[in-house]
Amino acid sequence: MVIDFLLTVLIISSIGAALALVLVLCEKYVVNYGPCKVTINNERELDIQGGSPLLTVLRDEKIFIPSACGGRGTCGVCKCIIKTGGGPVLPTETPFLTKEEQAADVRLSCQVKVRNDIDIEIPEELFNIREYETVCTEIEELTYDMRRFRFELKEPPMIKFTAGQFIQLLCPKYKGSSEEVYRAYSIASDPQQNNFIDLIIRLVPNGICTTWCFDYLKEGDAVKLNGPYGDFRLSDSDAPMIFVAGGSGMAPFVSILSEMQNTNSTRRARYFFGGNTTKDLCMAEEMKAFEDVLEGFEFIPVVATPEEGSNWTGEVGLVTEAVQRAYPDLSGYEGYLCGSPGMIDAAAKVFTGLGMSEDKIYYDKFA
Amino acid sequence: MKQSPRDRKLEEVLRSTKLVAGGFMGTDTRHPIEIIEQDVIELGRLGLTAGQVAERMAQLTELAKPRLGNWIDHATLKLRIKSEDYKGTLVCPWPHPGRFEKRITTVEHAETGKQISWTDLNIHMIAEHGFFEGKGAFFRLEPTEIVNILFEDLT
Repeated sequence: MVIDFLLTVLIISSIGAALALVLVLCEKYVVNYGPCKVTINNERELDIQGGSPLLTVLRDEKIFIPSACGGRGTCGVCKCIIKTGGGPVLPTETPFLTKEEQAADVRLSCQVKVRNDIDIEIPEELFNIREYETVCTEIEELTYDMRRFRFELKEPPMIKFTAGQFIQLLCPKYKGSSEEVYRAYSIASDPQQNNFIDLIIRLVPNGICTTWCFDYLKEGDAVKLNGPYGDFRLSDSDAPMIFVAGGSGMAPFVSILSEMQNTNSTRRARYFFGGNTTKDLCMAEEMKAFEDVLEGFEFIPVVATPEEGSNWTGEVGLVTEAVQRAYPDLSGYEGYLCGSPGMIDAAAKVFTGLGMSEDKIYYDKFA
Repeated sequence: MKQSPRDRKLEEVLRSTKLVAGGFMGTDTRHPIEIIEQDVIELGRLGLTAGQVAERMAQLTELAKPRLGNWIDHATLKLRIKSEDYKGTLVCPWPHPGRFEKRITTVEHAETGKQISWTDLNIHMIAEHGFFEGKGAFFRLEPTEIVNILFEDLT
């Protein structure tokens, strides 16, 4: 009796699994969705072959939707409105979509496959995003796990971006990754220097793209970038600002401070940069140099645990603790954050605890 | 070992480099089910379950998180711990929704200096699937090593 029952369960499970496998194989090798039409903003029409994710379809047409994970469905950044033809919202999308967004037909373009004609809406500014053929011309060690990479633009030869924005780097297939992937990095160069882009990248242990950048990418190699993306930028107000960063979170502030210098900004700003030890600090002299040209600017490096014998005389503790020591009240201030998600969350909590309005705290966790 | 289509698909995902650089299997030629079974047996021999190991790992990660990547000494165990997080998430290779912050916890034994590291995804894979990754994988955790470092209070 028990054996019969188990045998029945086994047979039914096997049939179910076999059918699922057949469906997957058919989807991959047999099903032909034929030509499909993608209508964008009721204006532009693309005739494409169905079957691929919308993000890929648009990328092939040189329309770049921002995505920090390269289409794996793990960042939730590549949102767009699919008015018709997108099918039901998938379980892989729901963690990233609010009820309001779902009601407004917002979808993740990496998860929606184009299987029929669809009608989508994307922000007009995305049409200005370009793909850039570049050459890596310089790799500079900043710390034991951070490097600055310079990419000289070849085609097109110039880029226009706003300080604080990010770009996507195409990591090619290599021993550690059988697929091309895109990853987002903040631009770390002066917007006026429009013929190259600097990126500051911190090695993520076993990270697909950072491992390639550190172990495989060499000066002289061709690299594809696309962008610029993102809304992380200085506001138009005159409010005094607190910048807080750690690690590769340094990147957008290099760009922002360069832009402040270009525009002779006198806006008050204090930049707290945190490291675990003195070995984690980088570009301190470059940042200090901004104090000479920006009237209202001060750079404050903070070390959590100075090594014995390091002779560190600066601020000690977590970067958030240094902010708390410096300010009893941050109402009226604006906060700009870039770094690890944990640091951003902790700093935002400190800011609001000191009276900073939540809508005056700017950050881009994926930049 | 005969595998079901589902197990074959799982092995394919674990060996692929789609989710993490180099995949989850390293140079291990065993089937994932064999790896899981043998690690569970080894843990049992050491007097622990995968659930207990994952629970201890999660406790240590939680302890270190507020220090934002800086070392913290454990109050009772001879351990120091740090937990660093990075942008992005790691996805569980098993066929269910599961995304984990890209966080790496490192534990160092204060006397021996031996270190082990894991991600939040490792904690999940050990707790829910009993999977410690294949030998040679970047985040492979040897049951004996974990027990020696994290469970000195029990040995």
